[in-house]
Amino acid sequence: MTSNREYDSERLAALIGALPAAPRAWIEAAQELPAARRGLDDLVARAEADAEFRARVVADLEAAVAAEGIEPSPPILAALRERFASD
Amino acid sequence: MSDAELVARCRRGDEGAWRELVDRFSRYVYAICGQAFRLPEHDSEDVFQEVFAKVYEHLDRLRDDEAVRPWIAQLTRRACIDRLRAGARLEVSDDVEPDGIDETLDRLDEAMAVHDALDLLDVNCREILDRFFARDESYRTIGTALGIPAGTIASRISRCLEKLRSEMEEAAPVARPVTG
Repeated sequence: MTSNREYDSERLAALIGALPAAPRAWIEAAQELPAARRGLDDLVARAEADAEFRARVVADLEAAVAAEGIEPSPPILAALRERFASD
Repeated sequence: MSDAELVARCRRGDEGAWRELVDRFSRYVYAICGQAFRLPEHDSEDVFQEVFAKVYEHLDRLRDDEAVRPWIAQLTRRACIDRLRAGARLEVSDDVEPDGIDETLDRLDEAMAVHDALDLLDVNCREILDRFFARDESYRTIGTALGIPAGTIASRISRCLEKLRSEMEEAAPVARPVTG
């Protein structure tokens, strides 16, 4: 695939340019996943212990996640929905 | 650090390693979404987050730690296909992959190899080449950011490309015809 081709300057330049950086905010959100998951665990535990809190969370997941200081990104919201649905 | 070492450290709960893993593969996932599947930016962002969430959650399922890159490529490819199908309301059997997808993915794999080789260069070379070719920055912007005269950027680019070429050829020697 790559081993039998010469790497001239033009080709190297094109290959460097083929991978521009992703937006910094996306990278940081993904890097914060471990911390975000810990935050979710806390939120789910509180929801399990407090029916009123749980009702508020289920009614507006995005606001509940944001209130915990966690970016309410689609994978975080999907993970939460899954956890509440399986309870 | 090799991909396998990085994966092993992530599995042990090393959050620094996780940050490094995201950094290492972020351009790759981003490029697959945007270049291979031509997803709009907001869909790319959703797929990007979904892929890294899956990587984080299912790292234990990876049988060969050295194969993390093809695994991430596969997760990204599937997530992009799901996104395209959902947007177009298509059935699972409908083919939504753009023409030439395999060639584009091969090119991105090769680009990853070049970026791996870039990491072996000194930080100045790495920055100059990345800023000029991947971020489209001007000589003046690069010069200001790195504190070097703008008039020397062109020759530095040329020297750095030469170093990069050496690294690439060392990593993947040019095939020679077998004689005798």
